[in-house]
Amino acid sequence: MRQLPFAYAFRNLGRSKLRLGAALFGSTLVVLLVLAAGGFVRGMQLTLDRQQSLHDNVMILGVGSEEGVERSQIDASVAGIAAASIRGLKQRAGVVYASPEIHAALPLRLDADDPTDRPAVMRGVRPVALLVHPDVEILQGRFPRAGEDEIMLGSLAPTRLGVPETRLALGKTLRFDDRDWTIVGRFAAPNTVMDAEIWIPLTDLQIATNREATLSTVVVTLDDASFTDVDLFAKSRLDLEIAAIRESAYYASIAAFYGPIRVMIVVTAALIALGGVLGGLNTMYAAFAARVREVGMLQALGYTRAAIVASLTEESVFAAACGALLGAAIGLAFLNGLAVRFSMGAFAVTIDAPVLLLGVLGGLLVGLVGAIPPALRCLRLPITQALKAH
Amino acid sequence: MKLLRCFPYVSKQVVRHRVRSLLTVVGIAIAMFLFTAVQAMNRGVTEATSAKANDTTLVVYRADRYCPATSRLPQDYQSRIERVEGVTAAIPIKVVVSNCRASLDVVTFRGVPKDDFIDERRGELDVVAGSLDDWKRRTDAALVGETLANRRGLKPGQSFTAAGITAYVAAVLRSDDAQDQNVAYTSLEFVQLAGRDDLGVVTQFNVKVADAALLEPVAKQIDAIFDAAQEPTATFTEQAFIGRVADDIVELVGFARWLGLGCLAAVLALVANSIVLGVQSRVSEHAVLQTLGYPGPLIAALIVAEGVALALTGGLLGAAAAIAVGRYGSFAFSVEGTSIPIVADPALLLTGLLVCGVIGVLAGLVPALQASRREIAECFRAA
Repeated sequence: MRQLPFAYAFRNLGRSKLRLGAALFGSTLVVLLVLAAGGFVRGMQLTLDRQQSLHDNVMILGVGSEEGVERSQIDASVAGIAAASIRGLKQRAGVVYASPEIHAALPLRLDADDPTDRPAVMRGVRPVALLVHPDVEILQGRFPRAGEDEIMLGSLAPTRLGVPETRLALGKTLRFDDRDWTIVGRFAAPNTVMDAEIWIPLTDLQIATNREATLSTVVVTLDDASFTDVDLFAKSRLDLEIAAIRESAYYASIAAFYGPIRVMIVVTAALIALGGVLGGLNTMYAAFAARVREVGMLQALGYTRAAIVASLTEESVFAAACGALLGAAIGLAFLNGLAVRFSMGAFAVTIDAPVLLLGVLGGLLVGLVGAIPPALRCLRLPITQALKAH
Repeated sequence: MKLLRCFPYVSKQVVRHRVRSLLTVVGIAIAMFLFTAVQAMNRGVTEATSAKANDTTLVVYRADRYCPATSRLPQDYQSRIERVEGVTAAIPIKVVVSNCRASLDVVTFRGVPKDDFIDERRGELDVVAGSLDDWKRRTDAALVGETLANRRGLKPGQSFTAAGITAYVAAVLRSDDAQDQNVAYTSLEFVQLAGRDDLGVVTQFNVKVADAALLEPVAKQIDAIFDAAQEPTATFTEQAFIGRVADDIVELVGFARWLGLGCLAAVLALVANSIVLGVQSRVSEHAVLQTLGYPGPLIAALIVAEGVALALTGGLLGAAAAIAVGRYGSFAFSVEGTSIPIVADPALLLTGLLVCGVIGVLAGLVPALQASRREIAECFRAA
C-alpha cells in the first residue's frame, strides 16, 4: 500500500494556525489534568505503602482501633512487656526494636498572639523510633530532648501547617499546650506519612495530652519472629486489650479509606478529559469535512482509503503528541513534587514513569480518537462526488 | 414573536448536524455535571459552617484538641455547665469515629443519654423506619441517620460493625440537620464501654442556650469555669466548631470552585466552537435568509437561540445527572466526627439552566453579530 509522505501530514498542520493552536491546547490540557490527577493519587498511594520498614514492622494497637491509630489507647507497660515477651524481635547493641508511640492530631499556633489553630499530626516517640522507622533521616539539628520543650519537624510539616519554610527553621518556636516549643531538628521521610508529622519526646506528649499511663501503639520490627508470634502475644494477653496488625496492612486500610476520594478525583479527571476529546472530535469533524475535495483528489491519484485515514490520523496524532509533550514538560516542571495538604497529613504530587506514561498516552488518545471517526466520515463519498464537493 | 415562529428552524438546525450537536451536548453535559457537583459541595460547606439567626447551640470541646479521640472531658462537667445562666440544657456526647481522617465514607457513633436526647430533640427528628421505642429499650441499639443508612445499606433489625463497635439498627432518622443525617446515635454508656476506661468520659457537650444573643457570653463563661481545670474547655458555636475541624474539606471545596469555573469555561468553549462551525458552514444559507427579507438582528437571534438550545439541553442533562447521583449516592464528607453534606438540591437544576442560558447567549453573540453584519453579495461569494 502506497503511503502518503509524513511531510504531507506535517505541512497540513500549518494550514490553520487557529486549529493547530486549539489541538495543542486541548491535548496539553488533557495531559496536565491526567498528570495532576494521576500524580495526586500516586503521591497519596506511595505515602501509604512505600515505607521501607512496612513489611518488617508490626503495630500493637488497642482492640477495635485497627482503623485509626489516633483513637487507640493501650497501657504504657505494653512496650516493655512486648519487648520482653516476643522472641525474635530485631535488636541492635541490646536495644530491642520496640517503639512506644502516641499519635495525636492537635492544634498548633505560631505564637501566643496567633489566632489560628493549625491542625498537625504529632507523634510522641523515643529515640528507638529512629531504629524502627529507618526511612526517617535527620537532615538538620538533632532529636528533641525530653523535658526541654523541643520538637522535630518533617519536611512536609510547613505544608501541613500552612506556613513558609523559613518560619519553621531551627531555633524557631511553635506554640502548643500554652507553651512555646523550640524546633531543634528537621527530618525527611520521603513518601511516608511521617514526612508531614511533628515528632516530640514521648513523655512530653504524654504530659501535654494528660495520658501518662497510655500509648497509642507500640511498633516492633521483626527479625526471626514472624507476624504470628506478635499476633499470638496480643491474643494471649487478654488483660491488655491489644491487637496486632502489620504496618503494611494498617496503611493499606488507610489507603482503602481514602478510596472514595481517589475515585472522585480520577472520575473528575476522566470526565474533563472526555470533554476534551469531544471538543477535539467536533473540531476535527469540521476540519476534515472542509477537505472532502482534497481527499477525493488523493483517492483519484491512487492513494487508498486506509492510506488517507493513516495520513489524517498522523496529522492529528502529531499535533496531539506535541501538546502531550508540552503538557508533560509543564507537569514535570510545576506539578511534580508539589506538596499537598490533605486530611491529617501532607504528601507530594508524584509524577513518576507510570503516571507520565498515562498522561502522554491520554494526550495521544485525544489525537487518535479525535481523528479516526471524522477521517472515516469524510471518506464516505464516492470519488466523483467528493471531487465536486465545496 | 418572530423568533418564536422561527423555533422550528432553530430546532432543525440543531438536529440537522446530529453528530456535531450530540458531541457538543454531551460535552456540555459533562462540564455541567461537574459544575453542579461542585455547587452541591459548596452548598454543603455553606450550610454546615454559616451561622443562622436562630442558632442556639454551643459545642463545648477539650481546649487544644481536634480528633474526638483526644477530646476527653469529665462527664461531671455537665452539672456545672447547666448551672450557667442562660443554659437550658447540656447533653454530654461521646463521639467515636471509624477514622479521624477526612473521607466520604466515615461512620460516626454519637453516644448520648437517650431520654435527654429525645426530650431535647423532640419535633426535630423524623423516624422514617424502625422504632424509637426499640432504640430506647436495647442497650446496643443505634438510631441511624438516613444518609449513613442509605450509604451503608442499613435497615432496622440489622447489625453492623464500625470503629470497633457492633450496633443494632433500631431506627432510621431523617433530620434537617446535616450532623444528624450522617451519624449513628447510641446510648452514651454503650459507646463509653466500647472504649478503654471511658466510663465517665465524654468528647463534647452540646449546650442549648435560651437566646441566640447569649451564645457568646455563655461560651466565655463556660470556658472561664474550666480554665484552671485539668481538662480545660474551648466552646464554639456549632457552625464555628464545624468550620474549625473541617478546615481541610473547606479548603478542598474552595479548590473545587476553581474547577467549577473551569467547567463553565469549557461549556463556553464547546458552545462557541459548535456555533462558529455552524455559522461557517451556513454562510450561503444566511445570505438566502437575508435575501428573503430576514433582518440581520433576527438572523443573529436565530444563531444565539441555537447556542442557547444546545447549552440548555446539555445543561439540563448534566445538572440532572449530578443531582440524581448526589441524592441517591447519599454522599457526605466526614472529618473528625462532623459531616459536611453534599447538598444536591433541585434548585441547583435551575441555577445550572440559568448559567447555561447565559453562557449560550455569550457563546453565540460574537459569531451571530458577525453573521448578521455580512453583506449579502459577500456571503454568496464566500459560499
